[in-house]
Amino acid sequence: MKKSKAKQNKIVPYFVSIALVAITTFLGGFIRGAIEPANIVIFYLLMVVMTAVWWGRYPAIMTSLLSVLAFDYFLVPPYLTFAVSDVQYVFTFIGLLAVGLVVSALTSKTRQQAMDALGREEQTAMLYRLSKDLAASDSLAAVLHAIRMNVGGIFDCRVAVFLPADHGITPGSFDHDFPIDEHENTIAAWVFRNGKPAGWATDTLPASKAHYLPLNTSQGVFGVLGVFFKGDKAGLGPGAGNLLSALASQAAVAVQRAKLTEISRQMELIRETERLQTALLNSISHDLRTPLVTIMGALSSLLQDFSSIAAETRKELLETAYEESGHLNRLVGNLLDMTRIEAGALKMKTKPCELRDVIGASLHLLKDKLEKRDIQMHIPRVLPEILLDFTLMMRVLVNLIDNAIKYSAPDTPIELAVELLENKVKIEVKDKGFGIPEEDLVRIFDKFYRAVKPRQVTGTGLGLSICKGIVEVHGGQIFAKNNPDKGVTFTVMLPLEAKET
Amino acid sequence: MRILIVDDEKTIRRFLKATLVSHGYDVFEAANGAEALKYAVSSHPDVIILDLGLPDMDGVDITRQIRERSKTPIIILSVREDESDKIAALDAGADDYLTKPFHAGEMLARIRAVMRRLLPQSEKSLFTVGKLSIDLAQHSVEVNGHPVHLTPTEYALLKVLVLNAGKIMTHGQILKEIWDKTEDVEEALHLLRVTMSNLRNKIEPDPDMPTYILTEPCVGYRLCTDL
Repeated sequence: MKKSKAKQNKIVPYFVSIALVAITTFLGGFIRGAIEPANIVIFYLLMVVMTAVWWGRYPAIMTSLLSVLAFDYFLVPPYLTFAVSDVQYVFTFIGLLAVGLVVSALTSKTRQQAMDALGREEQTAMLYRLSKDLAASDSLAAVLHAIRMNVGGIFDCRVAVFLPADHGITPGSFDHDFPIDEHENTIAAWVFRNGKPAGWATDTLPASKAHYLPLNTSQGVFGVLGVFFKGDKAGLGPGAGNLLSALASQAAVAVQRAKLTEISRQMELIRETERLQTALLNSISHDLRTPLVTIMGALSSLLQDFSSIAAETRKELLETAYEESGHLNRLVGNLLDMTRIEAGALKMKTKPCELRDVIGASLHLLKDKLEKRDIQMHIPRVLPEILLDFTLMMRVLVNLIDNAIKYSAPDTPIELAVELLENKVKIEVKDKGFGIPEEDLVRIFDKFYRAVKPRQVTGTGLGLSICKGIVEVHGGQIFAKNNPDKGVTFTVMLPLEAKET
Repeated sequence: MRILIVDDEKTIRRFLKATLVSHGYDVFEAANGAEALKYAVSSHPDVIILDLGLPDMDGVDITRQIRERSKTPIIILSVREDESDKIAALDAGADDYLTKPFHAGEMLARIRAVMRRLLPQSEKSLFTVGKLSIDLAQHSVEVNGHPVHLTPTEYALLKVLVLNAGKIMTHGQILKEIWDKTEDVEEALHLLRVTMSNLRNKIEPDPDMPTYILTEPCVGYRLCTDL
């Protein structure tokens, strides 16, 4: 379709030229008696110039020739013959032809230059669009996508970008119908190693399906650009070839930049992780060692001087050691939970549960600590069953209630409320304690963060982050808010339709 | 009273032995599953304390094999992580469990509880805990001296727990006892939860904070023998 149309377009100028000469001759015929024939030549020249401007050199040359012939045949006496009675007309013919040829050459050259300029402008626009897209890409993946979209759009072809991998090269991003197979991969790898184009429309391995260009920068080859034209196309053509290399070098710079950014981002991440790990390790080793110091100290002194220590002191030492071992046990449990949550290895075993039962079991676990506390419960008699991991949700509630006990005075009440909302359940644990500084309300859910550290309150700074992890795997939210009067309220929102696992 | 301790950790055996001996029990030790199976029969223990994480055999298998030969009460030692093993062992016939690490007093209480259940049936026809009293012979339940009316299912559930007072009853065991059900479990479990909730509403002083019938998370229920 496209080709036959192009052919048509090429023939049309010649027909129009013939028509123009015919019209000039026809009009000239009317006035040939009235004015000197030589003056009519001016109109022929006008036609030559017009043809040259519109269609370029060859139609213009034809117009000159036709003009001479038509002028001689129709307008120079004797009419309707190529014979010439006046010799001076021979000079007119030669002049007309010469001027026609020169004008056609000059105009067509100007025209070519204009077209080249237009082409360059278009290329510049394409390069500009690519560079704009590349500049807007904030990751390697986005850079590759921009390259693919632009190159594919400009050339109406399938594109693949190959990136260096452990062994050679691998297609990093490609259109799904780009021919990717072992053979094509080998050519891409060759291009990567040698930094020269190869494949289709080159001298190296031209039998392959696609054309490959290295993504070259001054610092080396950063990848390979592959373009594949569907259908049979003879070659790239010099204009397209140049544009493609220009695009490739721009793409190369972008890929290089993206890779360097990625590397530096990774380094930054590694540094940050290392810093955090060191801080974490310091904190953990301190937390682990403190109870151990007490346990070891108490037990060793008992072992050494059992008989000389007063019975009362012995009991005291043993109680301290026992308390600290409990603390150590909680810490180890919390660390294990935290590790599991962070590794995404927290296995939920959700089953339909009665929230009231979960709360009851949590309170039972804390019954020794709660003995003298005033617990005010507001739980609706009828609650739908919720899909929960019973033990995990218990851990959340035990943690929140335990916090309420620890961070409020023994003579203040603790309130536990459950409210059924449209598609979720709200659980609130409210105390009348010291409250939490406003700026810490979000950070208290961070690992190892402890907001208020009143004396006599021990903790690992892990409990709330574990709660958060557990609530979130249930598809819920947890947050804290200071009460208008006193103390703090922890709220857990759980979806009624808990997410399936 | 003879107690068999099965644990591959020497230090744990040592501390268990010290505690038990000082409370007047005769203690035998086994460090692996094979020894456990041998001594479970040959040394005629009254109670077996069995660690689930033995190197040579699966703890649930050991429980099952011991149950094939004897009714000796088994108390399982497990860590928090192998909850499903714990349930499997209880279903296979273990009587109770302790999660490591545990309080020595807790262990002694569990041993006393399983031993008490070995007493002759007749003594158990009247069961009392706190203000709750149940007379199995009379089919009557009283709270604070006032008779409580229970539906047949609620009574059946309470009866199963009374007959196994102090012992954990797994969901599976209760379903089997009351509805003789092993299939269609989720629906039966729902029925069990609803029945339990209604039963607690009738007998617990504060159903939001049950004290008589305790929930063993993910495992089952246990009727308290003393408050």
